[in-house]
Amino acid sequence: MQVHQFHPTVSFGDAVSNQILSLQHLLRQLGYRSEIFCEQPPIQFEGRTRLIHEYIRYSSPENLLLIHFSLGYSPQVLSWLDQLPDRKVLVYHNITPCTYFWGVNESYHEAARAGREQLKWMSTLVEAGWGVSKFNAQELAEYGWTHLDVLSLVFDPVRYKTRPDPKVMRRWSGKVNILFVGRVVPNKRFEDVIITFYFFKQRVCPDAHLFLVGSAHGMEPYLEFLQALVKRLGLSSSVLFTGHVSTSQLVAYYRCASVFLCMSEHEGFGMPLLESMYFGVPIVAYKAAAVPETLDGCGVLVTKKDHAAIAELIGLLLEDGALRERIVARQRERVKAFFPEQIRERLAILLQNLTSG
Amino acid sequence: MAENWLEIPGENINVQEIMRQIRQRIAAREGLESTETDEPESIAASLWEEVIGDQAGLAGLPLSQRECDIVPRGYVIEWRVPVLGPIHALVRRIINAEIRRYLLPALEKQSTFNRKVRRMLIDLIRENALLRQEIIELRQKLEQDQQG
Repeated sequence: MQVHQFHPTVSFGDAVSNQILSLQHLLRQLGYRSEIFCEQPPIQFEGRTRLIHEYIRYSSPENLLLIHFSLGYSPQVLSWLDQLPDRKVLVYHNITPCTYFWGVNESYHEAARAGREQLKWMSTLVEAGWGVSKFNAQELAEYGWTHLDVLSLVFDPVRYKTRPDPKVMRRWSGKVNILFVGRVVPNKRFEDVIITFYFFKQRVCPDAHLFLVGSAHGMEPYLEFLQALVKRLGLSSSVLFTGHVSTSQLVAYYRCASVFLCMSEHEGFGMPLLESMYFGVPIVAYKAAAVPETLDGCGVLVTKKDHAAIAELIGLLLEDGALRERIVARQRERVKAFFPEQIRERLAILLQNLTSG
Repeated sequence: MAENWLEIPGENINVQEIMRQIRQRIAAREGLESTETDEPESIAASLWEEVIGDQAGLAGLPLSQRECDIVPRGYVIEWRVPVLGPIHALVRRIINAEIRRYLLPALEKQSTFNRKVRRMLIDLIRENALLRQEIIELRQKLEQDQQG
């Protein structure tokens, strides 16, 4: 049996693409022939992906195709998938509810809406659904799916074994820096991070800085709103929108961070939470969607967005070294559950279940 | 503040004590001179309305946010002739970098301008609809007055 993967596109730095590349590595380690197929040619990863029209050479009823799903597919892809004789499993990364994109990006709004529509009948196209979290698997269950399992995202420390960007380190190391990492999309509620930071700076630490690390590609109106908010709150010199960063810059921002603050309202998993665990940055996160599951007993969860209180909580974390250490120690233990060897074991079991059942 | 708004798992962590300390810290700051803006949340809400806007007028405007954005994001010059590999790669990198440096800022400005114009058009459409409604109501009132 060969195990191949499909996603409309593969690009640098996003969680779905990283998972696809990590799974390919694990599948090959398990002895499967494994290729990645895309609808659109990727800008990077030349030679590591193939276009779907090439799949005809690989297609076989004996093969398994892992279909990664995070937005609606085009009619062409749906028809292509429908005609394939291969066995198929949907890997569900979650689809952000379309209402978050209303007025920000109509194409995304439409793709998210269509994706949820497609979820309803995609269970007839594939033989099982694997959520990257229990939260995601539960969503599939709500759409009437029955053959469900969980295969978490892979956290590969090797990816972060790079020299932290010296410019970032020189500029920010040793200061009080609050960090949030994620695509600049409305469901991540960057505005709430900014408001909490406003209270933190006003009341607790006037010299603090906030790093908002992530691409705003396609979300320019939302970025414009956030920048206007920063300006109105008088935070222009303290808040840094980095845009898309390289791995060495990302590592540097984690190395310089005092606290990771996540106010997101919808996360299918939350890879930056794992990154924070790995880099020993204490996490303060709003308890929503898959966030509590990803943390699973580590970090700090808040159930209410009382910005002034959260600002004081961050202050406390910075001042109380012992408390901070206890939290960070639990985080470091938690992240090990997502290391490649753990996920490879789980993947082998899931594949075994498919072949035997 | 809700009583149990905080969850910190751990055997040696007293969450109630941490919440007490936070309440104490908040209380200690009350009455201190402050330059705080009253309601950052309200500012955010009004800015959202101002920048993103409600979408009631969209149906009347056949121009999407997406179309306002004219920046060719992700565009790179692909040049895969293998003969002079490293030289081609260098030239390609320079051209791409120069395009980004000179062209993209101008296109970003134009896109921002487009989005602002679009929002103004939405506001005008909305205003126009209100005025039309007002005219209808005034006409009706006038007719009623003339009949009466």
